[in-house]
Amino acid sequence: MNTVLSRANSLFAFSLSVMAALTFGCFITTAFKDRSVPVDIQVSKVMIKNVDDFTGPRERSDLGFVTFDISANLQPIFDWNVKELFLYLTAEYSTKSNALNQVVLWDKIVLRGENTKLNMKDVKSKYFFFDDGNGLRANKNITLTLSWNVVPNAGILPLVMGSGHKSLAFPETYETAKSY
Amino acid sequence: MLSVFKSIPTHMDYKGQKLAEQIFQGVILVSAVIGFIYGFTIQQFGWTVYIMLAGFTISCLLTLPPWPMYRKNPLNWQPALPETSGETRDKPQENQKKKKHK
Repeated sequence: MNTVLSRANSLFAFSLSVMAALTFGCFITTAFKDRSVPVDIQVSKVMIKNVDDFTGPRERSDLGFVTFDISANLQPIFDWNVKELFLYLTAEYSTKSNALNQVVLWDKIVLRGENTKLNMKDVKSKYFFFDDGNGLRANKNITLTLSWNVVPNAGILPLVMGSGHKSLAFPETYETAKSY
Repeated sequence: MLSVFKSIPTHMDYKGQKLAEQIFQGVILVSAVIGFIYGFTIQQFGWTVYIMLAGFTISCLLTLPPWPMYRKNPLNWQPALPETSGETRDKPQENQKKKKHK
């Protein structure tokens, strides 16, 4: 500790160790919180088409079109260890060829400091709702759920499902030659 | 230019070094506790980091330059011996050795 550089080295290393301990303390205070809130999903318009699917192995697959409303209050999730939330809407159903299908229809990033009351109306899906085959037509039970990925400052990134879901059924016939 | 920095005296005596280490450890720990409690209260981790950085700056200013409080116990060196008395002591020994060989 005789020279300035040796004192500065010791000081800086001690500061970094204390900083690491504070970050661990921040993680420990929020590690076991339940990050689920109630979510309300409504569906206004459902349509189905049978189109060429160039990414799949067969000629034509079912393509679903869903227009929905989402409302949720995400404020209780944000604390001093949450940097942002990655929300995504999943459609889950079963067909004759596959027991479980899950398709992500829409997603959104909510940063800390932005408006946390989610109230979106008449939202079209962002991603194509293609089925692996023709299992969407006359499918009685498609469940829509909103989940999110919590991105923290320090710690684990949990995937949390919101409580509340919406079941819908697809119609029996395809729409033909109608623009969406 | 570097020789200018090297010529500035930056030494502290031993008790001063111990005092400096205690001071900076204490300041940083206190600012860490204050920062943690304040950040937890307003639920923003950014403020915890800012308060820690303020504590780091304060302890840099207090302990890096050699203030007079770190030089209160200087070491007591023995006074230096003058050169001439060392040479006269050697010469009589050499004369004694030559007489023994005869």
